[in-house]
Order: sequence, then structure tokens, then C-alpha cells
Amino acid sequence: MHIDWFVLGCQIFNFLLLVYLLKRFLYGRILKAMDEREAKIAARFSEAREIKEKAAEAAELYDKRNRQLAEKSEQMLNEASLAAETRRKELMEKVREEVDAIKTRWQTMLAREKEAFFQDLRGRAAREIYATARKALADLGNAELEEQIVAEFIRRVQGLDSEKSKEIRKAITGGGNKVVVQSAFDISPDTQAKIEQALKKQISNGFTVRYIKQPDVVSGIELRVNGHKIAWSLNEYLETLVENLTEVIQKEAHAA
Amino acid sequence: MEIVQINQISPDQVIIWSWGFIKINATILYTWLVMAILVVGSWLVTRNLSSEINVSRWQHFLEVVISVIRGEINEMAKKGGDKYIPLIGTLFLFIGLSNILVVVPGFVAPTSSITTTASLAICVFVAVPMYGISQNGLLHYLKEYFQPNFIFFPFHVMGEISRTLALTVRLFGNIMSHEKVVGILLAVTPLLFPIIMQALGLLIGIIQAYIFAILSMVYIASATSAHEEGHKHEELHKAEASQGIAA
Repeated sequence: MHIDWFVLGCQIFNFLLLVYLLKRFLYGRILKAMDEREAKIAARFSEAREIKEKAAEAAELYDKRNRQLAEKSEQMLNEASLAAETRRKELMEKVREEVDAIKTRWQTMLAREKEAFFQDLRGRAAREIYATARKALADLGNAELEEQIVAEFIRRVQGLDSEKSKEIRKAITGGGNKVVVQSAFDISPDTQAKIEQALKKQISNGFTVRYIKQPDVVSGIELRVNGHKIAWSLNEYLETLVENLTEVIQKEAHAA
Repeated sequence: MEIVQINQISPDQVIIWSWGFIKINATILYTWLVMAILVVGSWLVTRNLSSEINVSRWQHFLEVVISVIRGEINEMAKKGGDKYIPLIGTLFLFIGLSNILVVVPGFVAPTSSITTTASLAICVFVAVPMYGISQNGLLHYLKEYFQPNFIFFPFHVMGEISRTLALTVRLFGNIMSHEKVVGILLAVTPLLFPIIMQALGLLIGIIQAYIFAILSMVYIASATSAHEEGHKHEELHKAEASQGIAA
């Protein structure tokens, strides 16, 4: 086989030229670009790793802080609720005290008002009953009733015990031997004689009796001497009646 | 139009222009064509390269090719493989592109000329001791020729020459014979069969480019690091075995 040495030389030159040109335009540039990219990627990876590490650290830090905050807030909440509970109790105590005070005051006031009301009621009732009874008795008044009243009065004088008689005797003496007999009606001279006789027999002699007609002594008769009194009248019955009435009204009020 | 007649064994015989002993034949012309495609293509792609994550698809393509070449070289050279990339890579790209372009009608592979394959083999023949000396020093490199003793010196020298010859003839034989076979088949068989042969030709072309480049790298590697002989021999056997299959 024939080999042309010129062509051989040409081909060797061509090949070496190609090696040079490709080294210049291909390998050098491509390898450089690849290496640069690799370096860049490596740098990015390392950067990313660093960032990741930092992020992990930061996350851990925040997590820790969060935990601390949560603990702190829980503690604060507990303290606050404890304080609030204490405060609530205090306030409740105070309110209860105030309410008690108001209640007491109110009750006192109520009792007072009730008292006043019953007082008033009693007074009115008494006055009304007095008025009614007086009117009735005045309408009914006659000699027989008056005699009965005087007879009762005389029985009372006679029924005095010795001690009471002695006290009255002393009073008569101290009062200038004057005795006043008040009655709602006129007493006849016979009746007056009966009364004086009974008094002298039971108490003492030597005093004068003065008779006064006094409508206030409701259907009754009374003997007054220096602070002592012997009497019979409807007054005491009426008073008992008023007492009983008041009691009944109070019971009704409580029941309501 | 047939550029190389069926009775012409090499495109060297197709003279396009001559002046005295200076002549331009089909081999040189098509070599320039392949060179132009490689250089202009590389320049077009690499004039605005990007080292960012997003790159053009052509840049991707070239990066893949270069990465494969680099990987193959580094597998054998172990360290500092990048400095062999221009030689080995150019061998692979030039032979590979020449062989692939055979499918283009009217194209004649420069590698089907023994002058081209011989020039490539001579470049490798020169490059091997250059790399060996630059790596280990002249004395150490020469000492390798007397291993295990001086009797082996002629055998070493014969080995160097014969493997260069083998490189030359293997590539030339494969490509030239394939072209001739396709030419003959085209004349005697219907349409379908030559297509299959062309496809097979592409495969053979790529394998031959790979074998040429890898064997060159094996020779360089064995010259640059004599301490890993076992490994080199293994690589050598592997490469020769694949060459045997292809042939």
C-alpha cells in the first residue's frame, strides 16, 4: 500500500491543529464551565447547609422561648386566677357584710315601722272602740246598769286586803282627807251613801267625798286619792280587747 | 456520484488539486470538513457558555460527551486525567464524527484512508513517551524498556511499533472494508439490506472510535504509571477483547 508522505504530514498537522483548536474552543471552556458550576453548586449546597443549620438553631431557640413563654404565661395565669379568686372572696365577704348591714338596718327600720304602725293601729283601734263603746254604753245607759256598776265598785272596795286598805288610808290622810269619786254618770244620794258607808267601813272615817261627773271614765266609776285608785270601768276591758286585736293583726302580718 | 471508485482502495487516490509534490486529495478535504464541523460547532456552542444551573441543550450535549470522555480517562489515569482530554477526546470525536458522517451520501470517511489512521497512530506513538517522560522523567521511562531485564528491550520496542501498526490497520481495515462491503451490497442486493449494513456501520464506526481512543489512553496510562501494571494489562485485555468482537 502506498503512503503519500506529504498527505501523512498534512494529516498529522491537521490532527494536531484540531487538538489545539478543540482544546481552545471545546475542552477548556466546557471543563471550565462544568467545574465552575460544580463549585457553585457545592457552594450553594454548603450555603444551604449553613442556612439550614442556622434555621434549625433559630427554630430550636424559638421553640425554647415559646416553651418558656408558655410556662410563664401559665404561671401568670395561675397567679392571676388565684389573686382573682382571693379578690372575689374578699369582695363577696364585703358585699355580704354590706348586705347584712343593709338587711339589719332594713329589718330594724321595718321593725320600727311595724312598731309605729301597730302603735298607731292600737291607738286608732282603741279610739274607735272607745268611741263606739262609749256611744253604745251611753245609748244603753240606764239606772240599772249604773247601779250594777256602783255595786261592782262597792264589791271591789270591800274586797280590798288590809295592806291595800292601809296604803289608801295613808294616802287619804296625806291628801287632806279628801277623796274624789269620778263617774260617767250622776250618782244618786242613796248610792253615794252606800259608797261612803262601804269606804268608811273598809278604810277609815273622817274624810269628805266629792263626786265629779267625768265622761272619760267610760261607763265606770273610780276613786282617786293621792296616787291610789280603786276603779271599775270598761276601759280595762277595752284595753284587753285592743291588746288581743293587735296580737291577731301581728300574727296575720307574719303569716303573710 | 461515487467519489471513490469501488476499485480504489483509499480516498487518497482521488486527487482534487496538485502542484508539484503538494496535492489536495479527498482525504485531506474531508478531514478539513470534519475539522470545520467540530471547530465551528464547538465555537458556536461555547461562545456563550453558562456556568449557571440553566444551560442550553447544545451545551448539555457537549457536557455529556466531555463528561463521558473524562470519566473513561479518569477511570484509567486515576489522577490528573484532565490533561489527556485534548488528545484522547479529539481522537474519539474526530474518528467518531468521520465514521458517523459516512451515512451522508457523497461523504467519504477520512478514516478509510490508511494515511489518516497512520497519522493518528503516529501521534499516539509520539504522545505516549512524551507523557511518560513528562510524568516520570526520562530515566525512569527508559528503564521500563529493560524490565524485567535487558533481553526484553527489543520486545518492548517491537511492541511499541506493532501496536502502532495495529492501531493504524485496525481502524483503516474496519472502515475501508465496511465501505467496500456496503458498496458491493448496494450493487447486488435490494434496497433493505444496505440500510441494515449502514446501521451496523454506524455501530462499528463508534466502536472503532472508542477502541482507538481507549487503547491510546491505555498506552499512555501504562507509560505514565508503571506501578500499576496489573491493572493496565487488565484494561488492555478488556479493550482488545472488545476490539476482537467488533472486528
